[in-house]
Amino acid sequence: MAQAAQNKTRGRKLLGASALLSVLAGLYFGLIEAPPDAYQGNAQRIMYLHIPSILTAYLSFFIVFIGSCLFLWKREKRDDILASSAAEIGVLFTALTILEGSIWGKPTWGVWWTWDARLTLTAILLLIFIGYLMLRSLIEDETRAAVCSAVLGIIGFLDIPLIHMSVYWWRTLHQPPSILRPDKMPWENIHPSMLIALAVNFAAFILLYFYLLSLRFHVGEMEEEAKTRKLYRGSL
Amino acid sequence: MELLRQTVWLLRKDLLLELRRRESVVAMFFFGTLLLFVFHFAFEIPPDRAAAMAPGLLWLAFIFTGTLGLTQLFQAERENHCLEALLLGPMDRAALYLAKVSFNLFLMLLVEVIIFPLFWILFNLAFWELLPSLFLVALLGTMGFCVLGTLFSAVTLKARARELLLPLILFPLMIPVILATVRGMEILLRTGQFEEAVPWLRLLVGFDVIFLTAGFLIFEWVIEA
Amino acid sequence: MRIVIRGLSKSYGLVWALKQTDLVLEPGECIALLGPNGAGKSTLLGLLSALLHPTTGEVLIDGQRLDQGSSPLRSAIGLLTPSGHLYEGLTLRENLHLFNSLYGVKKSPQEIDEALDTVGLGRWREEYVSALSSGMKCRLGIGKWLLLQPQFLLLDEPYGVLDGSGVDLLESYLKRLCRSGGTVVMATHHVSRILTLCSRALILRRGELIFDEPRQQPWESFHRTFAEFLPRGDQWSS
Repeated sequence: MAQAAQNKTRGRKLLGASALLSVLAGLYFGLIEAPPDAYQGNAQRIMYLHIPSILTAYLSFFIVFIGSCLFLWKREKRDDILASSAAEIGVLFTALTILEGSIWGKPTWGVWWTWDARLTLTAILLLIFIGYLMLRSLIEDETRAAVCSAVLGIIGFLDIPLIHMSVYWWRTLHQPPSILRPDKMPWENIHPSMLIALAVNFAAFILLYFYLLSLRFHVGEMEEEAKTRKLYRGSL
Repeated sequence: MELLRQTVWLLRKDLLLELRRRESVVAMFFFGTLLLFVFHFAFEIPPDRAAAMAPGLLWLAFIFTGTLGLTQLFQAERENHCLEALLLGPMDRAALYLAKVSFNLFLMLLVEVIIFPLFWILFNLAFWELLPSLFLVALLGTMGFCVLGTLFSAVTLKARARELLLPLILFPLMIPVILATVRGMEILLRTGQFEEAVPWLRLLVGFDVIFLTAGFLIFEWVIEA
Repeated sequence: MRIVIRGLSKSYGLVWALKQTDLVLEPGECIALLGPNGAGKSTLLGLLSALLHPTTGEVLIDGQRLDQGSSPLRSAIGLLTPSGHLYEGLTLRENLHLFNSLYGVKKSPQEIDEALDTVGLGRWREEYVSALSSGMKCRLGIGKWLLLQPQFLLLDEPYGVLDGSGVDLLESYLKRLCRSGGTVVMATHHVSRILTLCSRALILRRGELIFDEPRQQPWESFHRTFAEFLPRGDQWSS
């Protein structure tokens, strides 16, 4: 038992170290190695953070979905902790994504916010995450909170493709002026060192995400263990 | 079939209670009408823009009115611990879900049938011949609202700040329905062509089917927790 | 019905409402469940009726495990509460009709009227439940279970609201039920009734079962244990 816990701690430390290294590498490649964009200048560099950010945000929700499904199926507290941890880290990364998008938007489009499909979808994802966390905190009975948030996690995940479809249709049928539309994905006509920067940052984000998730999960497990010990403190 | 019979009995019970007390339907109707009035003061709608803005305003009114109905949905079961009484027995839990979805749908459609023409008159719109196809869109959209709304009404049944939490959770999930219904209606009003609105209607049907199924399967766990 | 309880417990947050309990309830037993407020009586009843999900352990009815969710086992279980679990906006008849249908029990309108007459509510059959007093609601609850015929009946403090004839009505029903092989568990504070009605007494304190004995004459151990829960200054008199 103690050996397993030790292994887990070692694993987390290793994950954290690799996350740190890849973040540093990512910063190097993104800020120094890669050249500035021909049209957007240095503002384009934030894409090295923004694209991995979006992907980790969606990955997070997928993990919430998996945790929710497992919990409703097996009713093991661990799966509920996984789902709620993923939701908390997910909120962080989603908010970060929106912030990065906004920071990129100002020099590129001249506005802090636009209702283009990607930003809108990210905002909706953030709202769903927030709803999930609020639901958990407002239901007093723990088991009920776990079941109800699992239901929201599953329904939310099933809804995401539909939300995507409807928002994209809405946005393509109503073309805003082209000056506000970023119609090219950054990897068309891309310099190889830009690709490397993107790849390294992508790895960095994934590692960072899983490191934070494992930390949060560990805290959740410890909380649960503390509660169980307190509960069983007296004789049964 | 047992499930259907139980659903019908539960629906009958809700309809009877509503018929006698008329709590929900009257409140919903007046609230919806009040919203339309307020919209008229809040939004300057030039006549040429009326057709474009009408669906959005109408749906806003329905969504808020519907949320009012949702918070009241399980009220009868909260008195005298009747929910316990239902769960005590061998009744299929999904029957309760179907009955509540049907009841909510009935209430909302009743309110819509009255508010729809009222809205048309208040905002001086023409297009009377489009009313049936517009109502079809509204029906599909309302169905989507009821299907998810009922599930989350049950989810938030024992939560604090329930009246705030329910819209907070529900509205982001309802975005496909809101977009599809409003855009569908707007296309119908603008072009009069049913075919152009069909992609949006397909989305609505897909939404309704997916979440009716999901709700049907999941409701049991929510209500027992 | 034979009910076996194995390792059953329920916790709410950091508090044990019921600590691990093992019990066997035999057919024909009429069991009194006593204890001070907060002892866990309602929790135990909730677990026995599967309205609550246990933290550990299980309930077996005639060898079959009782879980939450719809199952045919549930049609054999009844729970009588003082408020009767009734819809205020429906008439007495409509309430009984509704629950009969939901339980899949086919009773004719005449049988429903007869049940209402038996519990003394015949005159009120077309009235709304909201017009009834709490004692009458409890009687209606009895009428409901008379029709649904459970074999395992749980009662949560019925004596508080019933008048003299209501008590007689209830007790004759319970006696009939036990004679036909059913099992009754009644949570109550009314000790005097127990000594005539029940065949066994359980006492809970702070979630723990501290007393479990079949009825005897005289019952010194019961008096001794129960005396702790009487108001100070009161003497026990049987």
